[in-house]
Amino acid sequence: MTMTDTTEHSHVHPTPETHLTPEEQQWVDAFMNDTTLFIGPDPLIMREHQIAERTPLEQRILELEADPLRADRIRRRLAGALDEAFEMCESMGAAPGAKWADLSVAVYTASGDVAYMSNRGVIAFSAVLHHPIRHIMKYWKDEPTVGIRPGDGFFHNDARFGMVHNTDQSMLVPVMREGEIIAWVGATIHEGENGACEPGGMPSGSETPFDDGLRASPIKIVEEGKLRRDLLTFLQHSTRDPKLMLADIKVKMGAVKRVMDIVDRAIEEYGVEAFVGAIRMTVEDVENEVRRRIGEMPDGTVTVNQFVDSTLKENILIKFAAKITVQGERLIVDLTGTGPEIINRAINSPLSSTKAFFAQAILSYWWPDLPRSTGALSPIEIISEVGTWADCSYDAPTGQNLQASFRAFTALQTAYAKLQFSVEEKYANVISPWFNQINNFLWGGTTQHGEQVGNLCADLNGMGGGAKAFHDGEDAVAPLFCAMADTGEQEVMEEEVPFLQLVSKRLVRDNQGFGKYRGGMGYEMIVAARNTDSWGFMTVTSGAKFSSVGGLFGGYGCPTYPLAMVKGINIFDIVKNDPSAFDLSMERVMNEQPYEGGSYTTYHMGLQFDIAQEGELYMISQGSGGGYGDVLERDPELVMEDLQLDRISAQVAHDIYRVAWNPDTYVVDAEATSKLRASERQERLRRGKPYAEFVAEFVTEEPPAELPYYGSWGQDNDQEVLATVWDHQGPKRVRGPISEIPLINVPNRHVMKIARLEARIAELEAKHGETVKRLV
Amino acid sequence: MKRISVDIGGTFTDCFFVWDDTYIESKSLTTHHNLALGFNSALDNACTRANLTREEVLGQVDSVRYATTLGTNALIEGKGPRVGALVTHGFEDTIHISRSKGYGVGLNEVKQGDMADAQRPDPIVPRHLVRSVKERIDSVGEVLVPVQREDVREQVRELVDNGAQAIIVALTNSTENGAHEQQILEIILEDYPAHELGSIPVLLSSQVSGRKGEYVRAMSTVVDGFLHETMFHALNQLSSNLRGSGYEKPMLVIHNSGGMAQSNSTDALQTIHSGPIAGVSGAQHLSESTGLGDVVSMDMGGTSFDIGLVPEGGVQHYDFQPAIGRWLVSVPMIHLNTLGAGGGSIASYDRIHRAVQIGPESAGSDPGPACYDRGGLNPTVTDADLLLGYLDPHNYANGFIKLNPKRSRFAIEEALCDELDLDPIEAAKVIKRTVDESMAIGIEMELRSRGGVVEDYTMLAYGGNGPLHACGIAESAGISRILFPPFASVFSALGAGNMKPLHIHERSAYVVLYEPIGRKLFDEYERFNDYVAELERRGREDLIRQGYDPALAKHRLEMDMRYGNQLVTTAVAFDLNRINSVGDVLQVIKKFSDIYGERYGEGTQAPEAGVRVQTIRVASYIDGEVVQFDDLTSGSDRATPEAVGQRLVHFVGHDEPIETPIYDARALHADYVVHGPAVITTESTTYLVEQGWRIEPTPQGAVWLLKESVTAAQ
Repeated sequence: MTMTDTTEHSHVHPTPETHLTPEEQQWVDAFMNDTTLFIGPDPLIMREHQIAERTPLEQRILELEADPLRADRIRRRLAGALDEAFEMCESMGAAPGAKWADLSVAVYTASGDVAYMSNRGVIAFSAVLHHPIRHIMKYWKDEPTVGIRPGDGFFHNDARFGMVHNTDQSMLVPVMREGEIIAWVGATIHEGENGACEPGGMPSGSETPFDDGLRASPIKIVEEGKLRRDLLTFLQHSTRDPKLMLADIKVKMGAVKRVMDIVDRAIEEYGVEAFVGAIRMTVEDVENEVRRRIGEMPDGTVTVNQFVDSTLKENILIKFAAKITVQGERLIVDLTGTGPEIINRAINSPLSSTKAFFAQAILSYWWPDLPRSTGALSPIEIISEVGTWADCSYDAPTGQNLQASFRAFTALQTAYAKLQFSVEEKYANVISPWFNQINNFLWGGTTQHGEQVGNLCADLNGMGGGAKAFHDGEDAVAPLFCAMADTGEQEVMEEEVPFLQLVSKRLVRDNQGFGKYRGGMGYEMIVAARNTDSWGFMTVTSGAKFSSVGGLFGGYGCPTYPLAMVKGINIFDIVKNDPSAFDLSMERVMNEQPYEGGSYTTYHMGLQFDIAQEGELYMISQGSGGGYGDVLERDPELVMEDLQLDRISAQVAHDIYRVAWNPDTYVVDAEATSKLRASERQERLRRGKPYAEFVAEFVTEEPPAELPYYGSWGQDNDQEVLATVWDHQGPKRVRGPISEIPLINVPNRHVMKIARLEARIAELEAKHGETVKRLV
Repeated sequence: MKRISVDIGGTFTDCFFVWDDTYIESKSLTTHHNLALGFNSALDNACTRANLTREEVLGQVDSVRYATTLGTNALIEGKGPRVGALVTHGFEDTIHISRSKGYGVGLNEVKQGDMADAQRPDPIVPRHLVRSVKERIDSVGEVLVPVQREDVREQVRELVDNGAQAIIVALTNSTENGAHEQQILEIILEDYPAHELGSIPVLLSSQVSGRKGEYVRAMSTVVDGFLHETMFHALNQLSSNLRGSGYEKPMLVIHNSGGMAQSNSTDALQTIHSGPIAGVSGAQHLSESTGLGDVVSMDMGGTSFDIGLVPEGGVQHYDFQPAIGRWLVSVPMIHLNTLGAGGGSIASYDRIHRAVQIGPESAGSDPGPACYDRGGLNPTVTDADLLLGYLDPHNYANGFIKLNPKRSRFAIEEALCDELDLDPIEAAKVIKRTVDESMAIGIEMELRSRGGVVEDYTMLAYGGNGPLHACGIAESAGISRILFPPFASVFSALGAGNMKPLHIHERSAYVVLYEPIGRKLFDEYERFNDYVAELERRGREDLIRQGYDPALAKHRLEMDMRYGNQLVTTAVAFDLNRINSVGDVLQVIKKFSDIYGERYGEGTQAPEAGVRVQTIRVASYIDGEVVQFDDLTSGSDRATPEAVGQRLVHFVGHDEPIETPIYDARALHADYVVHGPAVITTESTTYLVEQGWRIEPTPQGAVWLLKESVTAAQ
């Protein structure tokens, strides 16, 4: 760890061997404080997700008087202001994220707990932005070179200091009265471009934290209402899109100002004490309500193990282990058994970002009626050890930490369906897992207008919804992290960037989590660059080989889809000369390979920035939500409906759903269907075996030796994890507690490939007695 | 001026009748089976009061104007033909996917946020009636893949075979080059000629909207296609009815753009919400002709609360992608914000905040509030109003509905009192205060988010529940002047009577006024001016087609502008109609900056990131005669009328009830002033005058509700 551990050096200084007098200890403390190398993320702040202790002011106010009706009046007034500011960000924001509502505006307590948040936007922000505020309060408030005055504003983006991921940027502004900070107002937007090693702000190719792009700890960029041009210039200079940086910092300042006006008015109308009491009361009320709701659930443990199939560079299997236990009003999420961090790959996540998606699941899929507050996650106990990919160390790159965060979401979403199934009062539907990957093209280069840009398509917002207990999942609906997020209009995109979606929105046949009710389907995208000197695409997801979400109560999980490319062609020339060749689908293009001279390849979904020549095809598909219930219970008429719309193949209708029909009329043959289904049930009984017998046959001591596997193996020993590590002799598997696993540094695949080629050349040289001339 | 304007709503058909200096309002029940009957009844009522026959009137009026909810109703009821869609290859599921957020369009935020319950509405175009054609045009209109005749024929045949009764053609980038849509139309007409049986109406998206956005343009065309037949027959029915009574001029249809046109120049989509928007238009006219200044209109009914904005200077706020029912469409529509709260909104206990929540559920009219005694068990805003003493249980809705206060008390006790630890009266006050404050917050948000200063606005209140809650709402919002306009009960019909023939044409355009990397100002004046001239030409032709003198046509240039890569644009209206110099360019940039700063806060402008025009829009219109309003300022020599009684009334902010004078409609006379606290009960509504407020009626029937500290004059 290259940072100075602030906890130890600033406050709990080690006592030397020799006994020090109190005066000497003071000298040592002062020296240590004066010589702190830099103030990095403070573990005491970063690992906490509970609401803060009441400040003395809050304590005094709430002891004296707690008037919920007055608090509610203040809340409604602020809620209106937050929604108004949210709309401002959405309207004014230059970032694609702002345009599809990937943002939030919130009012925080003095300690940084979210009290009120805009109704729309990304809920995960409610569980992560207390960290930077606490950092500011602890380190900058009383620091003579920084300090805080009315009108100051802090910027930050680095997830190590508390953020969903580094592509988000915040503006945090204190509410001050008589020199005291009594609350905060903040606006946060997913900005996209952040100067990372690849354009778009979410680099799958980052191998060190320095590849992740901008690493802004909380910095005071606004002084007494004025934006500092020197710091602004530094930020603009650090990214590919200085226009975006400028425009959206102003947007966030404007939004905060709008909320601040209403805060000022509320304080004027009701007084400081009523205001402070109201926001603190809300945080505590939400925490109490969550405890009460946990208490309604039956005691027990649900285990949700997930396996991710990619570092976004190599094929691996890495485990996200989660045991969710309810004990009375306690809810414990135990991540023990989760695979170790990979120190030179982008998939690692700080624990705070992982937790943010626990909050996302709770506030959008468990209890969507709850106010978005730090109080929602606060009562939940989380067990995790530093050094896993879901709780990574300071030195790990985190450019694609969503890989871990999204699994955190799915873990809780899946668990809730089971935990609340028999609960009398339900606050949300029982549903199968939502699709959890941002299958989407990130892009960058020079536009047809000569501008340098880097960002991503809004198509990530078209995730397949999980099947419900009584209805199919919604096709390509909002993403798991943001209700009402917008996939936008392709015509508008094409005006800005030099590529076309030749297939923009078409659901992909058989791309559904089968079940009594099927998961919502995903659509395919086929893109090709045009009218640009320099352009490239990348993709940043997993799940091309191992399904990223499962089904529920017998439903199937999401199918797997690769990235497919046709290089070495220009589709625009081809279709101009022969319009009948304009017949694109990933299935057809890859199976029939109709374009002569093309190079047809498939790939996992972690494509590093790839230079695209004009007219080369890049093809991906959105995934499906999980299916619900037994496929043999699906209404045959629904099967026929999907078949007629070409949403499933005849093979699926017959082999999976076991339906018989007249192929000319699509009329179900009810009798034959009953027979087919009865027969399949008999087959199941025949194939079935006692669980112990199955385990004895199926379960092995450890995974296949050639599989790079990370995480605990089996259900019995989560304390010990397996990992493939590389040393000078090559890969080898190790096992042990997470703290004892050696650093995992995956060798560069291109270096390895060169080494293999070199070896082959040497072999051929030896065989044929010829020396190949090598380039130096 | 002799004129008839009619607003046919879901329950009532309102008529505003102008016969020179005589203004008459009349109403009748809407006759859904044949709208002409209700129309005639309302008109006959007015004619009788003017001592004229219907034929005499229709033979002499300059126009009959008509605002209708017909399209809205047809959309809600799903009444329309089976519409098939032809789209570009690769975009087959664009309509179905509905930008992924289609599940929540038209729903409240609570439902939008409940992802596990997300479900799209049944589509207007079922997926099996969507076919694609192999063609592609790029963003500047270049053809990448030409249309293939046989391919089109095959797809159309499949649509027809599958039962399509109307076809919409919505091709990608057709706003930049509509040739492919035209070619397809020609191919369809060849195979299914209009003069033969079996012909099917065909609508082209490029003719419905000039704005980029393949989904919203397709949906606009779909909605148009779906409503076309219903509207066509209904308008024909009304036209025939008018012709039968001697009216020979074309009937004019009110548009949601704030203008109007003959039915042959009206798309069905343009009629949606035209009634409420005519009300906003009436507010604008009232404001302009009486010097009211900035006006916010408030229409509080039983289940909803519409807020419209009329800032001084007449610059309208539009929604360019409004939600029509559950569908997002592309049409410039006067902005109207509807909050889901009214007299029927249900009050419930909010366990998390230990407070009272109003709505979004509503008791509606059946069973209605608990006090209606029709089986409703939930307490509503009306129940609270009754319990607090504002409503007369024997004289509500002109005595048609007898109210039972015991039901109100019981409902409030059951739902709220234990939890809040309050008695029913105090709980009722919490309901009243909560609904008033919520409405006030809605108004404040509307005003602030569009650059308004709340305190400067006059609230123009109409709708059944407006007079009862206006004081509380205004007090909470910081507004000190409320006006109940003249002819309030038919105010939307009155608004329709003042609208202008107006057509809006727009086109997407890539115009960079300031390019920041090369630091270059826009200089392609000819290209820009050609765009504007073409839009003006189309507007002028629309007006000529309706028989107007083109010399009278006026054109207003508006542009949707943005900084850098913002997606959502800000609409700006300009005084100039051409750009001919760098000075003009800078003037446009400055106007944008002014509007933007006003709306989002000074200093939020970011011209350093570049200044772009996204859409150019031209409103072409003709000024005409309008209704004259009397001066709304009021004299100071006013007497206090005789109260008809008094009762104990409970007011928010007062622990004890106040013995309050009760007045009837006779108190609403221009000689009187009524100081609060007071209650005035009329046939149609109840005015609540809270302490610190007073009522001053005007001769023409308008009623001022003013804070004691202000006068009617600005």
